[in-house]
Amino acid sequence: MNLLTQPVGVSHYLVVGAVLFVCGVVCMATKRNALGVLMGIELVLNGANLNFIAFGSHVLNRAGARTLGLDGQLIALFVIVLAAAEAAIALAITLNYYNNQATVDVDHADELRG
Amino acid sequence: MEQVDQLASLVPLLLGGAWLLPLASFTLIFLFGPKMGRHGRLAAYVATGAILGSFVLSITSFTMWLAQHGVTGAPTHASHDAESQQAAAEKSRAFLLEPSTFDPAANHFTSVAYRTDDHHEEAGDDADHLQNDHHGHGTGTSDHGHAAHQAPEKVVYTGSWYPLYRSKTLLIDIGYYIDILTVSIFCMVTLIASCIHFYSIGYMHEELTDELVDNECKLPDGTSLRRRGRFHRFFQYLSLFCFSMLGLVIAGNVAMVFVFWELVGICSYLLIGFYRERHSASTAANKAFIVNRVGDFGMIIGLMALWGSLGTFAFGDVDGRPGVFTLVTQAPGGIPNGMVRLAAYDQIEAGVQPTDEQLAIWREQHLGYGLLIVAGLGIFCGCVGKSAQFPLHVWLPDAMEGPTPVSALIHAATMVAAGVYLVGRFYPVFSPEVLLVIAYIGAITLFLAATIAIAATDIKRVLAYSTVSQLGYMMLALGVGGWLAGLFHLVTHAFFKALLFLCSGSVIHACHTNEMPLMGGLRKKMPWTAYTMLVGCLAISGAGIPFVIGFSGYYSKDAIIAQVLSFSRANPAHAPLYWVAAGGAAITAFYMFRLWFMTFAGKPRDTHIYEHAHESPKVMYVPLVILAIFATGVAWRVPGTNLSLANLIEDGRPVTSMTDGVFWSSLRIPNEHLSHSDVGIHTTATLVAFGTALSGFLLALLFYGTRTLNAEEVQQQFPRIHRFLINRWYIDDLYWAIFVRPTHFIAQRVAAFDRQRIDWFIDSTARWVRGLSRLDDLIDRYVVDGFVNLLATWTYGIGLSLRRVQTGRLRQYVMFIAVGTVALFVLASFLWSYAMAGS
Amino acid sequence: MHSPIIWHSFFFLLFSILACAFAVAVVVTTNIVRMAFFLVVSLGSTAGLFFLAGADMVGAMQLMIYVGGTLVLLIFGVMLTAQQPFVSMHTPSGEWILAAIVGGSLLAVLLQVAWSVDAWTQGPPLPEAAYTREGTQGNASEALAHDPRFAPSQTATQLGFGLLGERVDQLSVKDPESRAGMSGYLLPFEIVSVHLLVVLVGAAYLARARYRASE
Repeated sequence: MNLLTQPVGVSHYLVVGAVLFVCGVVCMATKRNALGVLMGIELVLNGANLNFIAFGSHVLNRAGARTLGLDGQLIALFVIVLAAAEAAIALAITLNYYNNQATVDVDHADELRG
Repeated sequence: MEQVDQLASLVPLLLGGAWLLPLASFTLIFLFGPKMGRHGRLAAYVATGAILGSFVLSITSFTMWLAQHGVTGAPTHASHDAESQQAAAEKSRAFLLEPSTFDPAANHFTSVAYRTDDHHEEAGDDADHLQNDHHGHGTGTSDHGHAAHQAPEKVVYTGSWYPLYRSKTLLIDIGYYIDILTVSIFCMVTLIASCIHFYSIGYMHEELTDELVDNECKLPDGTSLRRRGRFHRFFQYLSLFCFSMLGLVIAGNVAMVFVFWELVGICSYLLIGFYRERHSASTAANKAFIVNRVGDFGMIIGLMALWGSLGTFAFGDVDGRPGVFTLVTQAPGGIPNGMVRLAAYDQIEAGVQPTDEQLAIWREQHLGYGLLIVAGLGIFCGCVGKSAQFPLHVWLPDAMEGPTPVSALIHAATMVAAGVYLVGRFYPVFSPEVLLVIAYIGAITLFLAATIAIAATDIKRVLAYSTVSQLGYMMLALGVGGWLAGLFHLVTHAFFKALLFLCSGSVIHACHTNEMPLMGGLRKKMPWTAYTMLVGCLAISGAGIPFVIGFSGYYSKDAIIAQVLSFSRANPAHAPLYWVAAGGAAITAFYMFRLWFMTFAGKPRDTHIYEHAHESPKVMYVPLVILAIFATGVAWRVPGTNLSLANLIEDGRPVTSMTDGVFWSSLRIPNEHLSHSDVGIHTTATLVAFGTALSGFLLALLFYGTRTLNAEEVQQQFPRIHRFLINRWYIDDLYWAIFVRPTHFIAQRVAAFDRQRIDWFIDSTARWVRGLSRLDDLIDRYVVDGFVNLLATWTYGIGLSLRRVQTGRLRQYVMFIAVGTVALFVLASFLWSYAMAGS
Repeated sequence: MHSPIIWHSFFFLLFSILACAFAVAVVVTTNIVRMAFFLVVSLGSTAGLFFLAGADMVGAMQLMIYVGGTLVLLIFGVMLTAQQPFVSMHTPSGEWILAAIVGGSLLAVLLQVAWSVDAWTQGPPLPEAAYTREGTQGNASEALAHDPRFAPSQTATQLGFGLLGERVDQLSVKDPESRAGMSGYLLPFEIVSVHLLVVLVGAAYLARARYRASE
């Protein structure tokens, strides 16, 4: 199975999205730096976005198949915007946390433990 | 004519303002009193300013009234027209000899033009009015006592400011009834109250402190009471008192009178009990209040009689509804239809139609007359309480516990005057029988109080009994038909009694004692007080040069004695009234000069007190001087005019009053004009009054002035009489034995019953309830609470165990999410394959 | 059957390998500064994948907003907090292993799902002419030129109208059932814009200069 000669389908994109998603999750689970966690979140969002694009693409689906169409791209756009907003606010929180605690280690931020 | 209309709306406005100003002051001080300057000093200025404003308004309306209506009153003894006097004497003698010519029905119903706000068209006959004025001027003396003489119209403004309650049978409103009497009393009250306010600023200055030591109030540990000064509080009460009194005077109906009557009572209660920490003061306040309640009970009965029969409380006509006066004066025989109908209630129930003819028949049978007497006696009952007449006079001497300016305000201008004023205001409704009762009550009071005053040594108590005695004079005068005499004496007495009280206050202020035996010779130390007080003594004794000039009391007392003489001649059976009045004049002069000599003349009896005595500050003795001027000359006629106090009051005389007894047919109330016009009566009365007063004065001079006679020896010679007088005729002891002791006895029995029986029952009930609630408590605690606690314990345990999961570590949560997602997938796929297998 | 190299697939492979490799690099690196760099490359490659899927507008947005905006923000954060102890923070090995197990299982599940639909595994075939050896070069290139994979896609206009509430891309759909619910995105657009504003204000508030509470 030669990937180079085969037309690319939705599944290929889903695989890449899955890899990005899992990388993001693992990143979130392992990074102690709050910014690292933030990067993990970005990865997760990108993986999801990739899936939306794939499902909405007319390039990757056979002609006549029902796709998300333009909706996929629109949702992807919203996700990007929300990700930007989330990044801004999360950074602000991180900076605040850093100002108050003099650290960015999320393991120290366990004041809400039961 | 337009001017009249303006006045009809302007005078009520002015007097209403004068009435409400003290209320505004009261409210201000009530709200901001303690914040008014240091220790509330400004409160005095607020209150004084308010009462001064009232005075100005009153004087303004008084002046406008004079300018508009003039003085039409019949000239009293100031008349020197011998011829007309002679003619009048002849006519009145004729009347006396031939009573059959005296037709009461014809005599007493002259037309009255009430000038109400709503009936301006009635003011149209102004020209007639002026003509009548003329008529009254020229032939006033000769006409009076004539059977059907045409009386000058009486000018009255009635109206309603604010209706409180309106039904088919009753209208209660805040209204006014203003005639020249109202205006004059307004001026009198506000003037005296102003003087007293100024005086109080000086007298009460001790209260201007944060910590006042009351030496007369000992605490259980022997030290004196210390308390905050209550300067502003005093002026607050004074303002309320003035407001109440003015409301009482301006009131347009009996219900309003009653309301302000009670307000006055409350104020006197507050003021008498001003030094409330002193046991004597609080007891005296209670006594005044309770004794007045007794009288007010009678007054309520009178009010109910009026309402039940007439359905109105208003004096004059308001909004076209006839008032009490109209109903009484326009009914034949003085018995209004309503009263006749109520008295014949069972006949009407039986089916007799109350037509006019039938009413006339009933009236012939004197049905309803009893009701009229009940109404009159009831109203008089209230006056007995307020004006401290014989059975209820006991509160007044005890009321001396209040600060002296209060004594002056209560005894001169306000509270005690209220009763006399109400009797005068309600005069048309009193039937001759009621008037006789009033006369006898007055006479008894006069004599009793005067005798007690002889023996008293407390300077304020002498004045208090003197007041009671003078009030008895007024009541006696009113009772024997001397409407003018009674109210004349009310006004003059107000001035000189206020003066006397303020003087005594000045003395007490200087000596810090009330006991006259400890004073003496004070006139060198405090000349202003001594000589103003001498003026007061002369005025109250009725001093004057007969037929020429005299102090104010000379005129009013003459008028009273003349009327009593006139009455006793018309009704020889009641001659003792005359002897009491004449004797009372002598006693009055005696005790007043006894007081003056003991206090101001002779040698100092207590050098310590004498050393420390001093003249009072200017703010205190200037009012004294003002009052002394008025006490001297308030009764004088303004030269060249017809304006004199007597003529003013004469203008306010009720249009009619009843003269002939029904149940007691021989009883006859003589027309008051006779006592002025009949030379025999007038001269005799003047000479008798002068002679008795002079003898009283001489006696006092001999006993206490020159010390020719020794008062102690007389006391030792008649120890029983002395003890009898010192103990105030044992009336207080009598009341104690008759009322207080039985009440205490019953109260103790009831209390014992309460404690032993009712308390036992309630206690056992309570014990039962307690047992039950203990049981309930157990159930509540172990069953209900147990269940709830069990639930809570479970919830708590679950929460505790779940708490461990909540580690607060971010990365762990991410792991949980991931694991959860995978688990969901696995679970879903299992279920999916299971469902596929199933299908 | 002749199987020519599909350049579209080639670029897909290139970008996907880049994206995945740098994503893994982000996970593996402990140095925060390098992580940021790797993330930039990974996200940029993803933008390439978007272009390949015909979403030119979204790809451009990805480059501008993500790579140009969000990551700059992130790098600011890194620089502001990049003090020595925080540059590389070590995670205990046990957690690594645990995360690897969980991540692996999640990946396995996702991959299984990705390959479970047959219609997705194959993309649309090339035009017939591309597969015939006999076909002239010109024919083949002409046929390929009409293939959507190689035709320039222009979605910006459609997206713009979609955000304004008009679905110009759906005009051709006759089937009313398919068109149901195909209205525009005006309201979400407004919500998102307001949301963005609020977030920026909130961020500015939170991150404003302030003394530490302890001082």
